[in-house]
Amino acid sequence: MSKTILTVDDSRMIREMLLIVLQEAGFNVVQAEDGQDGLEALRRSSPDVIITDINMPRLDGYGFIEGVRQDQRHRATPILVLSTESSPEKKQRAREAGATGWIVKPFKADTLLDVVRRVSA
Amino acid sequence: MDPMDAIKATYFQECDELLASLEEGLLALEAGEGDSDTINAVFRAVHSVKGGAGAFGFDRMVEFAHVFETALDAMRAGKLDPEPEVVKLMLRATDVLVDHVQAAKGEGAVDEGRAAAMADDLAALTSSEAPKPAASEAAAATTDEWGFAPLKFDFGDEASAASEAKWRLVMRPAPQMYAKGHDAALFLRELARLGDAQVSLDASALPDLESLQPETPYLAWTVELPASVEEAAIRDVFDFVGEDCPIELTLEGGEAPAAPSAEAPAADMQALLQAVQDESSPETSATVPPAAAEKGSADKGAPKGAQGATIRVDLERVDRLIDLVGELVINQAMLAQRVAESELACSSSVAIGLDELEQLTREIQDSVMAIRAQPVKSVFQRMPRLVREIAGATGKQVRLVMEGEGTEVDKTVIERLSDPITHMLRNAIDHGLETPEERAAAGKPEEGAVRLAALHRSGRIVIEVSDDGKGINRPRVRDIAVEKGLIAADANLTDDEIDNLIFLPGFSTASSVSNISGRGVGMDVVKRSIQALGGRISIASQPGKGSVFTLSLPLTLAVLDGMVISASGQTLVAPLTAIVETLRPKPEDVRALGPAGAVLAVRGAHVPLIDVGVALGLRHAPIDPDHGVVLLVESEGGGRSALVADEIQGQRQVVIKSLEANYQRVDGIAAATILGDGRVALILDVEAVVEKRLNERHAPLAKAS
Amino acid sequence: MLRLSPVLDLGAAAPLWRGLCEARGAAIEIDASQVERIGGLCLQVLLAARTQWRADGRSFAIVQPSAAFADGVRLMAAADLAPQQEDVQ
Repeated sequence: MSKTILTVDDSRMIREMLLIVLQEAGFNVVQAEDGQDGLEALRRSSPDVIITDINMPRLDGYGFIEGVRQDQRHRATPILVLSTESSPEKKQRAREAGATGWIVKPFKADTLLDVVRRVSA
Repeated sequence: MDPMDAIKATYFQECDELLASLEEGLLALEAGEGDSDTINAVFRAVHSVKGGAGAFGFDRMVEFAHVFETALDAMRAGKLDPEPEVVKLMLRATDVLVDHVQAAKGEGAVDEGRAAAMADDLAALTSSEAPKPAASEAAAATTDEWGFAPLKFDFGDEASAASEAKWRLVMRPAPQMYAKGHDAALFLRELARLGDAQVSLDASALPDLESLQPETPYLAWTVELPASVEEAAIRDVFDFVGEDCPIELTLEGGEAPAAPSAEAPAADMQALLQAVQDESSPETSATVPPAAAEKGSADKGAPKGAQGATIRVDLERVDRLIDLVGELVINQAMLAQRVAESELACSSSVAIGLDELEQLTREIQDSVMAIRAQPVKSVFQRMPRLVREIAGATGKQVRLVMEGEGTEVDKTVIERLSDPITHMLRNAIDHGLETPEERAAAGKPEEGAVRLAALHRSGRIVIEVSDDGKGINRPRVRDIAVEKGLIAADANLTDDEIDNLIFLPGFSTASSVSNISGRGVGMDVVKRSIQALGGRISIASQPGKGSVFTLSLPLTLAVLDGMVISASGQTLVAPLTAIVETLRPKPEDVRALGPAGAVLAVRGAHVPLIDVGVALGLRHAPIDPDHGVVLLVESEGGGRSALVADEIQGQRQVVIKSLEANYQRVDGIAAATILGDGRVALILDVEAVVEKRLNERHAPLAKAS
Repeated sequence: MLRLSPVLDLGAAAPLWRGLCEARGAAIEIDASQVERIGGLCLQVLLAARTQWRADGRSFAIVQPSAAFADGVRLMAAADLAPQQEDVQ
C-alpha cells in the first residue's frame, strides 16, 4: 500500500514541486497551505510522513508541529521541516517542538525522496 | 573515501594531465614544432608518471615507463634524433602507457604482448647504451638526477590496517527521542548503509516486564564501522536528532601499522601526498594540481602569476551554487510578476529597481555558468589516439588537425560531446577517406586529412569534422534509401537532402557497417542523442573532395530561452532555437489532407500541421487551426512543420529543472521548469513531437502500399 | 496466540506491553507474519517478555516472522527473536 504524505507550505510553487516529486515516486499526497490548514488536514487523513515549512501565515511550522504531537495518533509520525533557513537556533526550536528532520530548500528531488523513504522505512 | 584511495585518485588525476601533455609534446615534435623545452617536458611527464607508479607498487607500469624514459633521456641528451619514425613510435608507446594507467585504475587491461613488443622497440632505440633493466631494478632504482628516489610509502599492510582500525559508536536513545518520530532501527539502518556495520545490543538496563514502561527506552547499541568510513558521515546520521540520542564515537586503533597515521589518517595522508607531489615533479610546479591552494597550505604561496591563479573546487559546490541561482531567477521572476499584478507597478522607482535586479540576476547567472565552462580540449585530446587506432585498423594514412581546442562550453555539454565526435571521426576515416592506393590514383596525397574543429556561433557551440576523402556516394545512398522504403523511388531530392538521408532511422545497412563504424551505433542514434540535448547535426558533401559533419549544441543544458504556450490548459515551453516564426493562420491557408491530416500554406510552400495537444495526448481532436496560433518550426533536416497551440503567453528564459530521475521519459517532453507565477511547465521536445506525428501519419500508408 | 500489528512503532508499544502482561502464566505463540515495521520500543517489550516467560518456565515463541520483522530485529542485533523459517512448523 502506498504511503501518504502531508505537505504543508504556503508557497504554491513548493507544494507543486513536492506534489510532482512525491507522486512520481508513488506516494499519496495531501496538501495544506499553512499550519492551521495542516492541522485540519490531519482530521481528514492519516499521513505516514509530514513535510512542513516553518514560515507560514496563521500558524507557523513550530506551532503546527506542536499541534501534531498533541494528537495521540501522530505522536511518532515523522515530521520533516523543509525550510530555506538552516541556523542551529531554528533547528533546535524545531527539534524541541518535535520535528524528526530538516531539509534545506531548495531541495533536490533525490535527497528529499531519500530522506522521506528513510524515515518511513 | 579511504585515504589510500584518495591519494590514488589524485595520482590518477595527475596522470591524466601528464599523459595529455606527453601526447601534446610528441605531436608538436612530430609536426616539427618542438624544441629542447618540448623534449624536456615530455621526458618529465613520463618520469613523473613513473615516480607515482613506483610509490604505489605498479611494477609493470614502472618497468615500461622506465624503458620509455630511457629513450626520452637519450633524446634529451641529443643522442637520439626526434625523427618522425621515432616520434611515431613514442606516440604509440604513449598509448601503451595510457593502457597501463587505465589498468592500474582497474579500468581495462594491458595487452601484454603489445606492451612487451613496444618495450623492445623502445629499448632498440637506445640499445647501444642502456640495456633493459629488470622490473625490480627499475622500481628500486636509486636517486636519479632529479633527486627523486622512488618513494614507497609504508602504509603497513593496507588491508589489515583497514580491518583492524575501526569506529566504535555507542548510541543511547533518550526518552523523548521516539516521541519525535525517530527510531533506533532507522539510525541503525542508516549506519549499515555507510559500511560493514557490526551491531551489538546492550539490554542490561531492561527491567522485568511488569515494571517496564513501554515508552521509555532502555536499550543501547554499540556499532562498529570500518575506519574508512568518514567521521562526518557517521555524525551526519545523528545531526538533527542531537541530544535526543546521545552518542559516543571513538576510533579504535587496533594494531597501528608502521606509518604513524592511525590517529589522524586523513591529515597525514595529505602530507605524504604533498611530499610525493613535490618530489616527483620538482620543476613542473605549473602541472602540480592546484589542490594545494585549496588545502590552504601557506608555504606553497600563490601559483605562478603567468598561469593565472586557479583553485580546484568540488563540483558539488558549484552545482549547488547553480541550483541556488536557478532559484534566484525563479524568485526574481515571481517577484516581478507579483509587482506587475499589484498597483506597485505604477511606481517607477519599484519598476527601475526590479529591472536592475533582473539585470543583476542575469549577470550572476552568466558568471556562475562560466565557472562550469571548460575548454573542449579535455575531449579533443582523446581523439589523436582514436584516429591512430582506426587508421591502423583500416590501413589508411590519416593526419588529424585540431582547431579551437580552447573553445569553452558548459560541463554538462562537454560530457556529452565525446560519443558523437568519436562516431563522426570513425565515420570520416572509415567511409570518407580512401585507401592510399585509391588516393594516389585520384591524384591526392596518400595521407588523408581529417579536421576536428570547435567554435562558438550565435550562442551555440559548433563542432565540425571534415575530411578530404571521396564524399558521399549520392546515387548509392539514394538507392539504399529507396530499397529500404525510406523515400519513394521517384522522390525529387536535392543533393543536401540526399546527404542527410544517412541520418534516417533504418538507413544503416549491412554493406556500410564495417567493424569500425559498426562498433557502436548508426548515425540515426547519434542524431537522436544529440537532439535530445537540443542539438542539431547535419552533413554537407562534395563528391571527390570530402564531407563536413556539423554538430551544434547549446552552450549549456541548465537554462533555455523559450516561448511559453498553452495547449488544452497545460502550460508548455518551446525552445526558441527551434522556432522560425509564429503566426495566426487564415482559414483559407489551411487545407485538409487525408481524413485527419492538414497542411498550412506558408509563402507558397505547404507544411504539415501538428496539433500540440493531440501530439502529447492532452486531447483527442485537434483544435481549429485558425482559432489557435502556429509555431513554424524547423527540423534538423531543414524540413518545416507548423505546431498548433491554443495561445502564446510570452517569451522568457527558464531554468531547466532536473527531474529526470523522477520522470518517466515522456515522448515529446524534454524536461520541466517552473515559471514566475509558480506554475510547473513542461518543455517541449519539438523534434520528437514532429517526428512522432509524421511517423504516425506515414505508418498506415506504408503498410497499405 | 497473539498477532503483532503491522506497524510496531511508539504508538504500538503500550498496547503490546498490556497484551503481553495479560497473557502471562501460559505458553505463548506470537504471530509476526503481518509486521511491516518494528522499532526499538516494541523490540524491548518483546525482549522483556521473552525473559519473563523463560523465568516463568513457559514456552515463548515468535512464529512466521515476516521479512520486515526478521530484517528489523537483525538490524537491531536481536536476530535470535526471529526464528529461522525452517524452525517454524
